[in-house]
Amino acid sequence: MQRPGIASSTLFWQLASFALFFGAWEIAGRWPVSAAFPPFSATFLALLEMIGDGSLGKAYLSTLQPLLIGVAICGIAGIGFGISMGLSRTVEWLTLPIFIVLQAAPMAAIIPLITYLYGIGLTSKVLAVIFMAAPVIVMNSYKGIRNTNPSLIQMCRSFQGSRRQEVVKIILPYAAALIFTGLRLGLAMGFIGVVIAELLITPTGIGDLITYHSSVADYPQMFAAIASIIVIAAVSLHALERVERRLFPAEIRGS
Amino acid sequence: MSYLRFPLAAFATLALLVGLPATDSHAQERTKIKYALGDVISIDELPLLVAAERAKKRGVDVEITSFKSEEVATQAVINGQADVGQGTPYAAIQKVNVPIRFFYQMSALQFFPIVNKDNYKDWKDLNGQEIVVHARGSGTEAIMRLMAKEHGIEYKNVSFVPGSDVRALGLIKGTIKASILDATNRNYVMKEAPGKFIVLPLGKVKASDEALFATRTFLDKNQAAVGILVEELIRVTREINANPKSILEERKKLGLLKDIPAKLEAEILPYFEEGVKNGIFPNDGGAANAAQNDLDFFKLSGSIKGDDLKVEDFWFLAPLKAALGKLK
Repeated sequence: MQRPGIASSTLFWQLASFALFFGAWEIAGRWPVSAAFPPFSATFLALLEMIGDGSLGKAYLSTLQPLLIGVAICGIAGIGFGISMGLSRTVEWLTLPIFIVLQAAPMAAIIPLITYLYGIGLTSKVLAVIFMAAPVIVMNSYKGIRNTNPSLIQMCRSFQGSRRQEVVKIILPYAAALIFTGLRLGLAMGFIGVVIAELLITPTGIGDLITYHSSVADYPQMFAAIASIIVIAAVSLHALERVERRLFPAEIRGS
Repeated sequence: MSYLRFPLAAFATLALLVGLPATDSHAQERTKIKYALGDVISIDELPLLVAAERAKKRGVDVEITSFKSEEVATQAVINGQADVGQGTPYAAIQKVNVPIRFFYQMSALQFFPIVNKDNYKDWKDLNGQEIVVHARGSGTEAIMRLMAKEHGIEYKNVSFVPGSDVRALGLIKGTIKASILDATNRNYVMKEAPGKFIVLPLGKVKASDEALFATRTFLDKNQAAVGILVEELIRVTREINANPKSILEERKKLGLLKDIPAKLEAEILPYFEEGVKNGIFPNDGGAANAAQNDLDFFKLSGSIKGDDLKVEDFWFLAPLKAALGKLK
């Protein structure tokens, strides 16, 4: 538990850093660093306007669709893959290179290839999310399994535990924290994937707001759309991190 | 050693003193125009390339840089990294408080509404149907909306698929039933699937496809250089309008776009012949006429807003008038 004094001073510094950041933004916009760079106040007003007329809400409904489908698929299939890679040398040998290559591949260069194969619809966007999110989810699950404390496994074996018990009672609970971290990082990559897809494939959702407002030179609206996706991504990742802290004790999280 | 060094140093200083003004005055004779293009350099840029080569001979170096999109090219001009931009950023000109003005129209819009023959036969059939255009607020959307207004119809939905080539593929694959394409891609779908598509007639849509713009400060400070570029552009355009084949000869003579594939090379003449037929290359750089048409068109497309739109808030016609005066 934090003492109230420390908590309030932390809050003070958090608010101060926000004030400093938005203040610097306001000055940069008014100076201006570029004729197309709006000050914070204009961007904030544009954000309120976009929330008010419903365009932002509508955009997010469409952006969240490929994001959630993609992350859900990665969550189920990716974790499954990662666990089987961690448990079986054959699966590891067969699939590990694919995920290492995917992790290293520049996504903006691969997306045009997806459109050649799957066209310009929802499937391509979901695939873009999967390509971004899958490697980190799979690799984390795989590493979680592989990094299980060997003395715990030894203990299970010395108590005559079966392989099944070793997996279910020792390895999976031990790997759970890293798997969850993988999911959180996967969501972060998914956000990147969905925005790249919406900017490069067809402008829908938040990608449409960014391209449209940029094309008609509504720079405050364009910045507001970009800022909104950053805030939403940051807030949801922070929330997941908090859940993670509650669910798993520090010794399993490795921190 | 020092007695040896001294005359050397003295000589070097003298050489610098004599040489500097000489190189400086040489530099003053030549002017550089940093030209921002929001597209890859392809066959439709040939008139510009020819004009740039000719301007070079008259002491104006036009340094063309390709950017990813028209918006990036516009930003380059707004922020002063480029002098002249190419495109139609009417919205940016209206909203950004840097006085940027158009001064020359290179070409007018040339697009072709295309529909799948099995589904639609004319404009009326598109009532209550879905159409696909380039992007929200784009020229293609404005054309399709203008046509809907003219024919008294209403689309069910307007979807956005950037890139004529992507929409052409969609039409051929059957995922898109009605769209609007540029000349090259219209020819492509007609060749790939003969008899499958019809081009719907387009009424009088007159607006700029590519126009040149720069800040007022640049235009005022570099009148001579801008004048030379505009004169050369008008000259090339007039030659093409008189004889589209002339661009092929010029390309060969100047060695322009030497490494384009043969397939694209074969498209040069048809592109310019069709453009000339449709009158998309103005002999007079567009002038006030083009400006007024643009204001009407881009207001309809939603790019610019307001009831009291004035040509002088978007165009600066003096360089064009001066060039036309010289060429008569």
